[in-house]
Amino acid sequence: MSTRNLVADKLLWETLGRWKRSSLDLDRNQFLKTVPFFDRLSKRQLKTISDIIFERTYDIGELIFEEGQPGAAMFLILDGKVAIEICRETSTTRLAVLEKGAFFGEMALLDDTPRSANARALERTRTLALYRNDLTGLRHRHARTACQIYRSLATMIGDRLRATNELVQLKTPSDTAGLE
Amino acid sequence: MSNGQEFEEQERERTLRRKVFYLTFATLALILGGFLVWNLRILILPIIVGALLAFLFRPVKDSFRVRWLPHELQVLCSFAVIGIVLFFAFNTLRKHIPDEEQKLEFKVRLKYKLNERYRQLVSRSEGKSTTVGPLIEKQVGPLMDKVNQALELNPHERDLFLRYAAGYNGKPPIQSKFVDYFWANQKTGKYVIPEKTPASAAPLTTQTGPASTQPPPAAEGTSLESKLSAWMLAPLIFVFLGFDNGQIRRFFVSLVPNRYFELSLTVLDDLDDAIGRYLRGTLLECFLVGLTLTLGLILLGIPWGIAVAIGVVSGLLNAIPFLGTAIALVIGVGYALIAENIRPLIPGLNPNDLALYVLILVVLVHIIDDVVFQPFVLGSAVNVHPLVVVIAIIGGSLVMGLWGMLFAIPTVVVVKTAVATLFKELKAYRII
Repeated sequence: MSTRNLVADKLLWETLGRWKRSSLDLDRNQFLKTVPFFDRLSKRQLKTISDIIFERTYDIGELIFEEGQPGAAMFLILDGKVAIEICRETSTTRLAVLEKGAFFGEMALLDDTPRSANARALERTRTLALYRNDLTGLRHRHARTACQIYRSLATMIGDRLRATNELVQLKTPSDTAGLE
Repeated sequence: MSNGQEFEEQERERTLRRKVFYLTFATLALILGGFLVWNLRILILPIIVGALLAFLFRPVKDSFRVRWLPHELQVLCSFAVIGIVLFFAFNTLRKHIPDEEQKLEFKVRLKYKLNERYRQLVSRSEGKSTTVGPLIEKQVGPLMDKVNQALELNPHERDLFLRYAAGYNGKPPIQSKFVDYFWANQKTGKYVIPEKTPASAAPLTTQTGPASTQPPPAAEGTSLESKLSAWMLAPLIFVFLGFDNGQIRRFFVSLVPNRYFELSLTVLDDLDDAIGRYLRGTLLECFLVGLTLTLGLILLGIPWGIAVAIGVVSGLLNAIPFLGTAIALVIGVGYALIAENIRPLIPGLNPNDLALYVLILVVLVHIIDDVVFQPFVLGSAVNVHPLVVVIAIIGGSLVMGLWGMLFAIPTVVVVKTAVATLFKELKAYRII
């Protein structure tokens, strides 16, 4: 069989495979591939994640989670904008505004420690939520997939720690110099 | 009116519409649900049993994982494994479930042996003391009469027994010794002479034949048919829930408002974990009790087939607290009373005292269950107060008979865990 035929066959099968799934699933899988958490996963692994993920839609101003509540799931923004805020008695400090493709609440994938900030939808927002215990269950059924996600999580936490260290060093140059 | 105010007004109207819609929908769903539950109540038990089996066997299904095999095929393979194991287990057990002939034989033997032992007891006590013998006769005599009445073969059964005694339905004739027991039983009279009853009561006692107590055959047939077709639902529920890959949970979670999304996931998971640990723990405990009892009975010399049958029944009934042990005792001692030519594997045991040994064995197994199995297998899964247990069992038996007794404690555990988990998480999520 010629190389051209092989390529044609491959294309045909890929097209047929795509038709088998609904466009919604396809969108979701394509979206997941763009999220740094899942960019190392294969198509089959993404399908596994897509099967356990929940889609939720929030209205303008609706709270996704509140500061102090136990964390249970990580959220990915499929569409819309989310503000991360800290509320104090008299004021509210907006820490960040996240847009499509961003994720938040990822520490909930490790344990149920209380959320450190509020997450509020700034416009009608579609999110995907990955529940901690579903990821834990994945450890037994699809160990490799779960391992990849935990690795991404560990890398991200490491990056944040490094950034925090740098920030601390920038804020207190004299103390650090003294220590050295 | 500014754009902002107009938007707020629209949102307020939308919220109101949503509330009215939800309220109407919930009311209609409740009415329809209630109507369906009442009219289809015959299906409730098969659905519960099927769902419970699917829930219990889920770890077996989950542990059967082959990466390259599609989910549906994995489930089918795990079902095939479960099916093969259950088929062989039932097939083995079926061989030791007494058929019509054996049932009649057991009845005859039990009646004969009980009377023989009673007479031995009376004659022994009469030889020792002049007061104990009559006292036993006065106290135990009426009970023995009732037992004899219960074990009495009706004319049809008597006729059938005599046919089996000569060899009937392709079966070998019943041992001559048991036929002798049958004739001896016919001569057994009453131990207590009944007081004269009023003439009006006589027709009542004579009318207790099968014709007066049994429902009309046609009605019975219909009821049996509908029951059978209802029970066909149990394996279907089991299979379909087995194929479920979390879709049912996802559907219900999708109905939950955003505010309770994480809470609902946590509550469902905690419930699943707690109830799963309790039910699977109970199943394992029942298995261990059944196994211990079976081994004990084999050591006492009871044939292994009978020992396994008694062990399986006692193990299953062990799920009913208190009553399970009592039923195991009745079955075990009942068999020990009719058993003959028993050779205990433990040296020094007197085969004539088999009933006493079985009694000791059942008590011993009960103690082992309390001290070893329950703490290790169930741990602190769910603690239910003994008073609640007693009330639940009585309540369950009143509502649904034996099934009610069997499901009473799991139901209490489910409700208790659900309420406790819900309150804990509602507080943690600052909703209450």
